[in-house]
Amino acid sequence: MSRLQLYGPFALLLVVLVLVAFPFYWMVLSSFTPKEALFRPPYRFFRLDFSLGNYRELLFATEFVRYFANSLIAAVGAIVLNVVAATLAGYGLTRFAFPGKKTFAFGTLFSYMFPPMLMAIPLYILFSALQMRNTYTGLILAHMAISLPLNIWLMWQYFQIVPQSLEEAAWVSGASRLRALRQVCLPSARPGILSVAIFSFALSWNDFTFAFLLQTDRHMFTLPVGLANFVEQTGVHWGMVMAAAVLVSVPTFLLVFFLQRYLLSGLRATG
Amino acid sequence: MAFSVRLEGLDKRFGRGARAVHAVRDLSLEIGEREFFTFVGPSGCGKTTTLRMIAGLETPTAGRIWFGDTEVTALPPQKRDIAMVFQDIALFPYMTVRQNIGYPLRIAGLPRTRVDEKVEKVAATLGLADKLAMKPGQLSGGQQQRVAIGRAIIKEPKVLLMDEPLSALDARLRVEMRTEILRLHREISATIIYVTHDQVEAMTMSTRVAVMDQGRTLQIDPPRTIFRRPADMTVATFIGTPAMNIIPAAVVATPSGLAIELLGRLIPVAARCHAALQGLKRVKVGIRPQSVRLVPPGPDQIMGSVFLREPLGFEDEVLVETADGTRLKAVTDTGEGFLEGAATGLEFASQDLFLFHAETKSALCCGLD
Repeated sequence: MSRLQLYGPFALLLVVLVLVAFPFYWMVLSSFTPKEALFRPPYRFFRLDFSLGNYRELLFATEFVRYFANSLIAAVGAIVLNVVAATLAGYGLTRFAFPGKKTFAFGTLFSYMFPPMLMAIPLYILFSALQMRNTYTGLILAHMAISLPLNIWLMWQYFQIVPQSLEEAAWVSGASRLRALRQVCLPSARPGILSVAIFSFALSWNDFTFAFLLQTDRHMFTLPVGLANFVEQTGVHWGMVMAAAVLVSVPTFLLVFFLQRYLLSGLRATG
Repeated sequence: MAFSVRLEGLDKRFGRGARAVHAVRDLSLEIGEREFFTFVGPSGCGKTTTLRMIAGLETPTAGRIWFGDTEVTALPPQKRDIAMVFQDIALFPYMTVRQNIGYPLRIAGLPRTRVDEKVEKVAATLGLADKLAMKPGQLSGGQQQRVAIGRAIIKEPKVLLMDEPLSALDARLRVEMRTEILRLHREISATIIYVTHDQVEAMTMSTRVAVMDQGRTLQIDPPRTIFRRPADMTVATFIGTPAMNIIPAAVVATPSGLAIELLGRLIPVAARCHAALQGLKRVKVGIRPQSVRLVPPGPDQIMGSVFLREPLGFEDEVLVETADGTRLKAVTDTGEGFLEGAATGLEFASQDLFLFHAETKSALCCGLD
């Protein structure tokens, strides 16, 4: 094997890594650079004028913490409701016979293909009538409207590969249907559940459309809306925007970092 | 009153309309206390469906199921006091062997110490004492099957159902586990209801066997009776290896009574069989390969030539072709005498012949003496 074949892939990976990682690096670096130093030449890859000024300003002079909390509440709510609903729906779709089952399952996938904006307008009218604008419940439900169809479809797929006989063995052992679902079925479907959780989080955390339309009270802004907003207000204070971006990505990093271990272990256990 | 499992007019259809499958047709039988009862038949004959109805995993379309004096037809599996071993073993992959075996007791709400105690006892009987901390994935196929059996017997159920429990194992292990299950049956006081497509398993293990085909029960009898007095041709050809030879024959009247003309020879039929043959012109004759003897060719014999010879070890399985093109299988110790293509004489005793109705296939007479 030639040297090129041996090291070639690594070289390629390195290039890709730089392309992917550099913006992150730049984001982190800029967030710790004082406002005055940010646009002062020379621009270097390494800077030593480390400062927490951007963060201080972000946390104490803006409503960032409020937005962060709003986003977190919406995301956690979306995760919990999505996991419960998608798991039960997926289980029902694989384990019970009812007319129109197949159509329903494919229908869920179809409804996922609507662009968010198409749903946002009717939802705006609906939630206005129900006085659910500017509430967490409304936002969570709106996020679910987008993520639940795909999640149901995902769990439907997962439960299809969990053998029915596992559950039957539990029933024969005396376990009720719900108990068998909890103790026997769910552990086997765990990778699916985690995928649902990650997907629900990502969708809720990154959503701009719904939050922008539904949450008009600035106390109810989520991070994407809040950030967009405060970019406009203060002129572009890049250091602070970068600091905000760093903090916004922290939960995503944590979630993927911890869940990917379970995701992998789930894959191993099924193999 | 002794405990028994009673099926009354059990019927099961899947689907509706043109695509409906009639899996079990009007099945009635009673299985006695501590019996080892086996349903055997080709795949799709309804044996597993029957077992699943007994377990409560399938609802009968019609008919009733009784456990002793209690009707259980409408009871869910949880309330039937049964245990079941599944064809695909179905161990819980995320639980250890200890948790798997102890699962039924944990659900029953026994305290942990009692569960552990019983699990260890069961594991010792099954030779799993050192495997308790492992996950099913770390065990061999045979060990997994033992765990599944352990999980089934730990609750000391009245009825133990087994759905082809050995089909996932290799041939040597199958024989080993057969002995093991028989030993268990002797030790525990459960009625075992067993399903298999393997007639050897059915014949060697059971006190009684039900042979099924296309949803119908063809015969329910002890293995010996099924082998010696099959109720019809399907049973006769399904039970026994290699399968029974079936040869068409004519019924002829002779001065000394009825006879059949088989492969150009007249064979008198015993008087007790005459009534059954009344009015029939043609019958099918069954003869087991083990009953066919190959002899050196001589006058006054059915002649044939050796078509194919498969050594089985002790004996050979020989396919012989007679002058009229009929092929017959024989299992015999041929020594070195019969090479492929060699001419041979065929002999069999008339008491080893079975007569079947040519259309209905039901048995007319077993043994013509």
